[in-house]
Amino acid sequence: MKRKIVLCITSAVVMTAIFIACKKDSSSSTTSATVTALTCSSATISATATLNVAYTGTASIPYTGGNSVAYSAGSAISSTGVTGLTATLAAGTLSSSGSLTYNITGTPTSSGTASFAITFGGQSCSFTVTVNATATDCSSSTGVAKVVCLANAFLATLSTTQQASVVLTLNLANAKLWSNLPCGLSCRDGLAFSSLTTAQLTAAKAVIAAATSTTTDQGYDEFLKINNTDSVLYAAAGGGYGPGYYVICFLGTPSTTGKWMLQFGGHHYAGNITFDAGSVVSITPSHQGLEPKTWTNANGTVIAPLADEETAMANMLASFSSTELTSAKISGSYSDCLMIPGSTTNTFPSTKVGIQVSSLSSTAQANVLLAMARWVNDLDSTSAAAFMTIYTNELSSTYVSYASNSSGVSGSASSFFTTNTDYVRIDGPSIWIEFICQTGVVYPSQIHYHSVFRDHSRDYIGL
Amino acid sequence: MILLFKTSSRQNKWRLLFPILLYCAALTPGICLAHQSPNTNMLLDVNTKMVAVELQIPIPELALSFKRNISESPATIVEQYGDQLKDYLKAHIHAYINKDNPWDVEIVSMNMDKGTQVLSGPPFWELRVHLNLLPNKNEDTRKFILDYDVVMHEVINHTTLVSVRNDWENGVITDNPVEVGVISRDMQTMTIKPFEINLKKGSSWKGFTGMFRLGMEHIKNGTDHLLFIITLLLPACLLVSNKKWTVYGGMKYSIFRLLKIITAFTIGHSITLLIGALGLVKIPVQFIEIIIAVSILVSAIHAITPLFYGKEIFIALGFGFIHGLAFSQTLQNLHLVSMDLALSVLGFNLGIEAMQVAVIAATIPWFIIMSQTRYFRIVKNVFASLVSMAAIGWILQRVTGNGNLVSDATDKLLLFSPWLILGLCLFSLTLFALAKRTKKAVEAENTVFLQNS
Repeated sequence: MKRKIVLCITSAVVMTAIFIACKKDSSSSTTSATVTALTCSSATISATATLNVAYTGTASIPYTGGNSVAYSAGSAISSTGVTGLTATLAAGTLSSSGSLTYNITGTPTSSGTASFAITFGGQSCSFTVTVNATATDCSSSTGVAKVVCLANAFLATLSTTQQASVVLTLNLANAKLWSNLPCGLSCRDGLAFSSLTTAQLTAAKAVIAAATSTTTDQGYDEFLKINNTDSVLYAAAGGGYGPGYYVICFLGTPSTTGKWMLQFGGHHYAGNITFDAGSVVSITPSHQGLEPKTWTNANGTVIAPLADEETAMANMLASFSSTELTSAKISGSYSDCLMIPGSTTNTFPSTKVGIQVSSLSSTAQANVLLAMARWVNDLDSTSAAAFMTIYTNELSSTYVSYASNSSGVSGSASSFFTTNTDYVRIDGPSIWIEFICQTGVVYPSQIHYHSVFRDHSRDYIGL
Repeated sequence: MILLFKTSSRQNKWRLLFPILLYCAALTPGICLAHQSPNTNMLLDVNTKMVAVELQIPIPELALSFKRNISESPATIVEQYGDQLKDYLKAHIHAYINKDNPWDVEIVSMNMDKGTQVLSGPPFWELRVHLNLLPNKNEDTRKFILDYDVVMHEVINHTTLVSVRNDWENGVITDNPVEVGVISRDMQTMTIKPFEINLKKGSSWKGFTGMFRLGMEHIKNGTDHLLFIITLLLPACLLVSNKKWTVYGGMKYSIFRLLKIITAFTIGHSITLLIGALGLVKIPVQFIEIIIAVSILVSAIHAITPLFYGKEIFIALGFGFIHGLAFSQTLQNLHLVSMDLALSVLGFNLGIEAMQVAVIAATIPWFIIMSQTRYFRIVKNVFASLVSMAAIGWILQRVTGNGNLVSDATDKLLLFSPWLILGLCLFSLTLFALAKRTKKAVEAENTVFLQNS
């Protein structure tokens, strides 16, 4: 009896041990890969190719009846019909059903259809890649027409699946989907930069460039620099940081007659520009942030695209007299901007606080305008000028307030925006700008910047 | 078990990010770093006598409003500033129905916790406060005013996310708190308005049925309890002779023995469930878990070769005590008192019973049928061997704290238990039919033989 129990327990333990020990292995197999069907007609091509333009993309060919065997990369298969492209099978492991991936590269020599005859696992079929004629030339267009032309040129480089992800309905829910956070596409709509081919990304950035300022450290250059700064954070902290997590999205179909919105951004950047009947009707909400606030790239160039924003705000406050500073100071502390998505209900405070611009000296008033311009001028020069006119006309009823900045003194710009919670706000009948210093997240010994630019009556216009 | 000993789940720190983080956690672990300034979480456990509150206050924000340099050595904030913190909190937390007669605010404990949310970026320290809001006599805990402005009186953009974690009278007993609102500065007026807590009218009946459902859920998900009782019942219909399981002992014998074992187990776990829920004993969860896995192993061995034939009720009772302690873990953070507690224990226990009876009703008849065939011994031994392996897997998992191949496979396999029961049913019927046919064939042969001779 006792022996039996001991035997029982021992055998159970041994069996369990064997099972646990045999967790791995059993991989060496010499069976060759086979499938029972390849469906080239359902192939998904990552992007459309353009005549005489270097192309990189992938084709996913669905299969069924795979035998769970690993297969190695294939050799290049040249295209027929339109020549100049090659397709190469990427290595992988079969499941019972799934897709084979072919990497396609080369420069198509004519427009039309490039065909690839493939054979795999005992099955053969042929898939095609569409090659467009020469890319649309938008250089002769200007203003909104140019943005629309480039938007369509970008769309032409995309596969139908990609087009469906990037052109979405213009509604309030989609319009509100912007963020200051490094949350990539999980808090934004559209296509991530990392999912685009080089040609597609170039076309996407051309749209953003056409809608924004061409000045250094403003508009497009500022966007690119903030985008690039995320690679510094990636190098330091990894995770969800990196230029590839930035996105582009169109709400509504880009046109010079209808209404649509261009959204672009990522961590520390949000651009939301609304076009209606060929003109820019809203340039907000807009958000810029930066960490580290200054760094030097491999070429020795100092990257500090928000330095001029900080300087403009500091100059503005420093040009206030001590009495004006006292009136402008508000109680309480700020650990972030108020009108950042998520930290508010998107309702602006109904009472303006701080000091009314009309009561400031003319020098200080001019400096308020200069500070505003640092945000408004991120847009293309025509729209920027139009919006500056609106905000300038409302200047006298605009208020400036600031919090913390305990070291700040009249006449000394460098005494402002030095530590965590140092905060300033410009709040007009329309304009709303907040700028704040926060303790760094990746570099906690430094401060970093957050700012939002909103418009009381034009955010999410008409939605 | 994964679901049985869930640690109380933490609330997300970031407003708005709640769905995002969930999404990220599900699809893209590790890519969601965030640094929106963190908010306070307020978790409410509401019962008929009081409202127990847990606050999770981020230190970087508290430092701004508490006006002391607490960020320097966050680990020792409570030791250094305990009394001042209590005064500070009491000055900024008021609850009342009648403003002139506010409730008592009793701070039970404060401790520091390192924010461990990988998804939200770099960890930060937070102050965890447990406090009780004690209403005046005859005042309702379901509808009252919370005048709360901790941190927010100073940090203008700070917000407090209010969630109800347990609402006994509405049968809300959950590890996933339900958000009921946000306390923050009203943007139009820039003031912090007193927050009204107004919970749906509940009842003791709802509380009771909520506990009943929870009891059923527990057994449904707590497969180890089921495996123990089923394995213990597996050989119950058999007779023992010469220290071996032999043949079917008849219907009356079987039913009587089954009932005895089930009743003993029920009495055992009911007693300890009550003791545990009252908080009279505290035994480390891990220890209980290990003993439960051992209990499964013991009953599996007993199913192969009788270890304690005739004394099953004592084993069922003894291990019932242990299983009851495990059940009671769930009831402990409900902060229940008096009548609520009695109803809860009753409801929870009945729920456990109902589910247990359902599962036993779905499995045991097939054992009774099978035990009448001569194949049953093989079936029983194979089943018991598999169970003993699973038990050893669990023991290792619970001792080491890491899953292993066997425990992981078992946990996965048991997700399909309804199908396993259906399979068991078909299998037993097949066996029974097969056995009958063989028996008939033998009888027929015998008849032929007799006729011929």
